[in-house]
Amino acid sequence: MMSWPAAAVVRWLILALWLALWELLPMTGLLPELFLPALSKTLGVLYLDRQIYFAALLITLYEVACSMLIACGLGILVGALIGGIALLRELLLPVFSSLYAVPIVILYPIFTAWFGIGSSSKIAFAGIYGFFPVMLSTAAGIRTIEPQFLLAARSMGANLPQLVTRVIIPASLPTVFAGLRLGGALTIIGVVVSEMLTASAGIGYLVTLNRTILDSPRVFAGILAILVLAIAYYMMARALERRMVVWQAAGRQQRLAPRLGSAAMPAPTAA
Amino acid sequence: MTRTQIIATRLALLALVLAAWELLPRLGVVNPLLLPPLSQVLGVLGDLIGRASVQEAVAVTALEVIVAFLIAVPLGAAAGIVIAENEYLSDIFKPMLFYVFSIPKSIFLPMFILLFGIGFQQKVAYAAFTTGFVVLMSATAAVESVRADHVLVARSYGATPMQILWRVYVPSMLPFLLETLRISMIFNFTGVMIAEMYASRTGIGHLIANWGENFQMPQLFAGVIVLSAVAIIFNEAVRALEVRCSTWRT
Amino acid sequence: MQHLANLTELRGGAAEPAIAVDGLSHVYAGADGGVAALVDIRLAVGKGRFVVIVGPSGCGKTSLLMMLAGLRQASQGSILCLGRPMPLPDPQRVGVIFQEASLFPWLTALDNIEFPLSLRGVPRAERRQRATAMLSLVGLEGFGERYPHELSGGMKQRVSIARGLIQDPPLLLMDEPFAALDEQTRMTMGHELLRIWSTTNKTVVFVTHSLTEAVYLADEVLVMSARPGRIVDHIEVTLPRPRRYDMMATSLFGQLRDRIWQQIRKLPDGA
Repeated sequence: MMSWPAAAVVRWLILALWLALWELLPMTGLLPELFLPALSKTLGVLYLDRQIYFAALLITLYEVACSMLIACGLGILVGALIGGIALLRELLLPVFSSLYAVPIVILYPIFTAWFGIGSSSKIAFAGIYGFFPVMLSTAAGIRTIEPQFLLAARSMGANLPQLVTRVIIPASLPTVFAGLRLGGALTIIGVVVSEMLTASAGIGYLVTLNRTILDSPRVFAGILAILVLAIAYYMMARALERRMVVWQAAGRQQRLAPRLGSAAMPAPTAA
Repeated sequence: MTRTQIIATRLALLALVLAAWELLPRLGVVNPLLLPPLSQVLGVLGDLIGRASVQEAVAVTALEVIVAFLIAVPLGAAAGIVIAENEYLSDIFKPMLFYVFSIPKSIFLPMFILLFGIGFQQKVAYAAFTTGFVVLMSATAAVESVRADHVLVARSYGATPMQILWRVYVPSMLPFLLETLRISMIFNFTGVMIAEMYASRTGIGHLIANWGENFQMPQLFAGVIVLSAVAIIFNEAVRALEVRCSTWRT
Repeated sequence: MQHLANLTELRGGAAEPAIAVDGLSHVYAGADGGVAALVDIRLAVGKGRFVVIVGPSGCGKTSLLMMLAGLRQASQGSILCLGRPMPLPDPQRVGVIFQEASLFPWLTALDNIEFPLSLRGVPRAERRQRATAMLSLVGLEGFGERYPHELSGGMKQRVSIARGLIQDPPLLLMDEPFAALDEQTRMTMGHELLRIWSTTNKTVVFVTHSLTEAVYLADEVLVMSARPGRIVDHIEVTLPRPRRYDMMATSLFGQLRDRIWQQIRKLPDGA
């Protein structure tokens, strides 16, 4: 019986296969160059126009950073408050999780009308786009802090400031980091979408621009840049999360998948 | 707080928001060109619903949403079930799914346009593409939620695979499946909207983008209100159904 | 219907009791007038005694313990620990050990043990020294740098005990600390606890629903009725110390267990 190769190996093989197809299918004419330019051509164009792409990337990154401040900063804060304070939770959480059903993208034209086609509208949009899921996720995560911790700390004579700094904050770190990871992924998505729709700068804008002039290699150069950005962010966030909360990883090995999109975790990027 | 108190408070908050929407522009606190008063928006809304062009756009969008959904759900579910059931495939593909989710799929829109041109097929294909992944992931979770010990008990009583499927898996997964449909529809709707707003000559999304470009704010807000209402109503309806079917779930 | 006599006066002798409870009643507020949890509890625990409170689930024994610890206030009656009331937790007077070890997962074993000292601002070196001493006392030398997720259930409870002991409180309250452990570990831990107790001379109030544990560990057993909780019996355990496992096979052990069981089985209204 042939033994199957390890899963990780297969994943790398799949990736290699993708890259190979990306190169070969257009090269051999099996796929029209207009639809899928060869990988080498895409990389060539990316290198050629590297200054343009780099400048655009900076703008995109700037917008992502600013909207992360909104999405994660506000999202985690509001989520902690709503999740932690019973009254607010009962009152507001169902409302927010109902609002989650609305496709936020339809608000984008409002933002461009208000803020113009520059970075502000992107930041506003991506900020809100990321805010809801991060808030919902944090609200759910806050409730997983065991009340026993607070009881134990009180029995040891901790006063209120100590309860907050020595118990609540450390206990919420995993939730906070999950929120950061989620927020970053979503703001990248939000910024890219808005740059593609109406913009004057940024990688998404470049992609749209080149599409309208049917310059496929440059379109794909932009796509590649975004892919790298998104994946790099994910890997960084995971690595950071793992290091910061090493005790969490071991303890939570067999968590059940949280109910998708209910008042708990929203669907994209289940923790 | 009792149930009625909660509902009353929420209604009060809503009334407050609506009142602000009406008064702030009217009083000039906020520029009424940027934020038209609520009454104006509602008036325009009433007018728009009557227009044939708007009704056509709604029909187009609805059709795209439905078709994309009908494509994405079976394909995504099948893929998800296959992955969940096979441990080897599971090990290979599940870690990849997290990466996939971090990628903004809207970046692939140009590819669909290059392939299909601008039109119905492109939008449906794109929406099905984005929705398919969500369905896949949810289906995987749904299958994994079926407890192994339940299956074991059934097998120990001699149940055939068919019986196990219908009498253990399906009831176990039913609430999950409804939730899957609900979440997938949210993503599906979003996908269609993005496609329509990006490059399209028809559909509500296109109308909204147009109104935005031309600074027709009352129409824009009217469109947003209607779409939001539809989305929320659908969501709550399915949620109510979920609750009915899952009283046994912890 | 004859109510079982609410027995007082445990053997504390002429010396002032370590714990004196008088006329303690507690009613939980509720929409329909409240639920009586405890009724007219009176007891006195002598210094250095090991007293076990045993009763059915929901009889209020945990509530009673929470009140002795200052974590909750009774609606009526008085509690004096070492002659003074307990309006707030006082970890230097009363140490509390819970059923869930409630170790903070983000701290190592040693960090957990010294946590109460760090709340009070005790300098690092002294904290570390005392914590290490406690670690040895509970038999976990060498495990100080482990995280809770790396420890077994029994080990976690040992750390929890060490944490309760570190401020050397004369009184120790334990709320079903071994309930979450399997039976074999329970027996070992019970034995360990007696060893630690005999070397430190503390007054212990131990709550359990295990009859065997009650008889094995205690000098005196207080039996509580089902809700609303009253003390319905007070049993002196005349088994010699140090206790040995083979005492469990003696007829005296069986008689004592049986007596407890008879009391618990009776319905509150003397059926």
